[in-house]
Amino acid sequence: MALKLGLLAGALAIAGGSAPTGSGAEAAVALPAPPANGEMGFILTAFAPAVYQGKDDCPDGLANTVRENYLQSLVPTERARLLLPASEPELTRRWKDYAVGPNNTNICANPELFDRPIQKTIQGKIAPGLNLDGKVSGAGAGACAHNNFVSPTGERGIDNQAYRALGCSRNYRGVDGTAGDAVRGYNNFLATGEHSMVLLLRGVDSLVNDDHVEIVFATTSDRPVLDSKRNFITGASFAVSDNPRWRNVLHGRIVNGVLTTDPADVRLTRRVGHGGIRGENLEWQFRQGRFRLAFQPDGSIKGLFGGYQPVRSVIEMTIVGGIGAATVAGIDCAAELKTLQKMADGLRDPKTGQCTGISAAMDVAAVPAFVMDRPITAMARN
Amino acid sequence: MLHRTARTALVIALPLVALGCMTGHLAGSVSAEMPAPIAASPEPLGQIVGMRRLTEAQYRNAIADIFGPDIIVAGRFEPIVRPAHQLIATGAAAASISPAGLEQFDAIGRGIAAQVFDPAHRATFVPCTSKSAAQPDDDCVRATLLPIGRYLFRRPLTNGEQAAYVRMASEATTRSGDFYAGLQLALGAMLVSPDFLYVIESAEPDPARPGEMRLDAYSRAARLSFFLWNTTPNDALLRAAAEGRLADPAQLAAVAQHMVKSPRLEAGVRAFFADMLMFEKFDDLAKDPIVYPRFNQDVAKALPEQLLRMIVDQLVTRDGDYRDLFTTRRTFMTRALGPIYNVPVVSRTGWEPHDFAATDDRAGLLSQAGFLSLYAHSGRSSPTLRGRAIRERLLCEPVPDPPGNVNFAVVQDTTNAVLRTARARLSAHASDPTCAACHRITDPIGLPLERFDGIGAFRAKENGVDIDVAGKLEDANFTGADGLGKALAGNPATTECVANRALEYATGKATDDQADLLAALDKGFAADRYRLPALMLRIASLPGLYEIHRAPAPASPVASSPATGAITGANR
Repeated sequence: MALKLGLLAGALAIAGGSAPTGSGAEAAVALPAPPANGEMGFILTAFAPAVYQGKDDCPDGLANTVRENYLQSLVPTERARLLLPASEPELTRRWKDYAVGPNNTNICANPELFDRPIQKTIQGKIAPGLNLDGKVSGAGAGACAHNNFVSPTGERGIDNQAYRALGCSRNYRGVDGTAGDAVRGYNNFLATGEHSMVLLLRGVDSLVNDDHVEIVFATTSDRPVLDSKRNFITGASFAVSDNPRWRNVLHGRIVNGVLTTDPADVRLTRRVGHGGIRGENLEWQFRQGRFRLAFQPDGSIKGLFGGYQPVRSVIEMTIVGGIGAATVAGIDCAAELKTLQKMADGLRDPKTGQCTGISAAMDVAAVPAFVMDRPITAMARN
Repeated sequence: MLHRTARTALVIALPLVALGCMTGHLAGSVSAEMPAPIAASPEPLGQIVGMRRLTEAQYRNAIADIFGPDIIVAGRFEPIVRPAHQLIATGAAAASISPAGLEQFDAIGRGIAAQVFDPAHRATFVPCTSKSAAQPDDDCVRATLLPIGRYLFRRPLTNGEQAAYVRMASEATTRSGDFYAGLQLALGAMLVSPDFLYVIESAEPDPARPGEMRLDAYSRAARLSFFLWNTTPNDALLRAAAEGRLADPAQLAAVAQHMVKSPRLEAGVRAFFADMLMFEKFDDLAKDPIVYPRFNQDVAKALPEQLLRMIVDQLVTRDGDYRDLFTTRRTFMTRALGPIYNVPVVSRTGWEPHDFAATDDRAGLLSQAGFLSLYAHSGRSSPTLRGRAIRERLLCEPVPDPPGNVNFAVVQDTTNAVLRTARARLSAHASDPTCAACHRITDPIGLPLERFDGIGAFRAKENGVDIDVAGKLEDANFTGADGLGKALAGNPATTECVANRALEYATGKATDDQADLLAALDKGFAADRYRLPALMLRIASLPGLYEIHRAPAPASPVASSPATGAITGANR
């Protein structure tokens, strides 16, 4: 059987290591030789919007909830009346009604049918991400006008308009200074097997410098094994998805212990629920997607994945949440969608001139695993 | 209504049966101890010379064989206590059932009976149509219960038993107005009878040895079946008993040979090694999740199965040399075990074969995670526990328990800044002369396994220090698990021990006074190139295995008799 095994990096338990911005000299000392067959497998433990909480990011407060937007839509006297404690039941009923439209539509399942104001956006200068359009300022070819961020490590030209649009929402901004529910939720989907993803690196001659590495970035249907602290167990086996649509081949290079890949379109399953009536088969979609990953001393890898997402797909998981996302979590999906559309900076439609995609950056972390690629015969058939 | 009736009958019956079990008052006619309505049998069953309680596996196998695998056996089984340095099979010969344990058997039995005669299954087991769904039909009850009783009691029911169970079913039907409820009650009663829960061995006069006794035909059938297949005798075996074929050594050997060639031998081999290697310890296996995050319930469940698959593959499927069990590179993996061994596992479900590289330190049974984790502490490895297990379980050399006042502080201090490896800590600990004597016989064969931690995962260092895996077994010096496996394979005690254990397993008796027989068995084992099925056939074919001795057995009952050609291979 022509299965390709992505062999574990082996004992990468070395001293030192290299951050993405680490010096080449450090990396050269710290990183060991790769496995003899040049193949390394990983299971992703993190794939969620990259969040940097600067203190000046949201000077006017967090993005409004449905309730707040409803109150904002009222004349001041009516707003004041409804904010009285005695009016709470009425206010609750009315703002929840505000999330519902005619013909059984609602603000999250059908956000494009609701006209809501733009929500508060990131005002700070710093955000994690990659320079997707190659420009330090302004927009490159095929992009729309936007402001670039500076990365937390000082790199200029960072494209991450999705974070600009949603970074002031409660979903992104946890009250304790850490990332919000969006990050926890997305990473949890990796643990439950709903979005589980693998990386298979091939042709790795050196973890320090290698001018060509092939990367299979794929969905796996195999559920990760977690320990009692919900950490992923290393050395488990995973098969690349049978669906060729969710097997993406990227090419890249390693420089000073940091793997970067060339832009490529990427699709991965974004299943919600394990089938049945709750099952929804959505997709992660990235255009011009690329990695920047640093090999870590403990054998894991960490870094970013950046690319342009179709605007609506950025909040697709919330859309699937339907009315509950609006009335329980309080998310104003229509406001989020309108903001994303306004901030869209990529995938310009040559006919309309409108950008249909928005730059985004995902935090990525992965631990060693055995990754079984699809049999060559199956790939040929597809 | 029926439920109450059944309970009433059993509530009366259970304490008495339990009392009989506990006090050993079941000699002679078993049914004599049964209260009404199970009246005493008019005909004797022969002199009872032994009783061995069914193990949980034997109980489950028997029910599955008799009624089918879809009949669920739900309940908790009272464990059989293992005598020190012996087998559970030997403990079964002295095992009682507590009142609470019998309550469990009662609940399990009633659950089985309810399933057997439920609408989905009754057509399979009731060969007749009752005259009325609400009225007793003794003929139909008899036609139903007699075949079942023959399998459950491993012999035909006596006339007295027949009458008692038929009457019990009829009376229950009369009270409940349900024919099948009557059958359920009778079957439930059979399932708590000592005739089912115990393999009762009875004897008859031995024509070859005037004045002496031998196991009767049905007891021979049971001994063969539980020894070789770990289940109740099937129809063919019961027929062979009924036709007298098991009384003739040559015919018995032919039957045994047929059984050894059957795929069902695997179940027998599994049960034997589960007993020999103390698999009951897996029930309590727990590891500290902080120290060993990779260990979880899926791993714990897979460990004994991996050992058994390796054993069956080497000894049954490939009919390989027992000694090679300690050096083979072939094992089996599941996804759950992959992270422990740090190897890829292609199959998403189930097991797949896996061969360790010739250069790998993992070789043989001793380097399997099941053995390594079973004989270790919850948070650390233990060269002493591993060495002791090898001595006791695989070489049949008992190691004394440590004195009660031993100070283990040094050994347990795995973060000791000076004594950074288990070898260093044990060396310091064993400097106490009272400890040194035992550690000298355990540690040199446990330390070679130190590159495998408390769950059997590989490690090259402990606390940053390279692990020294030098070892010694008798006069053989070696390194690592690979070297230990070879040393064990080359040690005569290894094969002598398994032959010893197999004989003990077959008889349910310690073999302390069987030195000559064991020597002869090992000689035959060698002649068979140490094939385990051949050894089991030799034991099953030993005429001496079925002889009953009034006095303590002679030192060499088989070797001294010309009729015992089994030892020299005449039956092969």
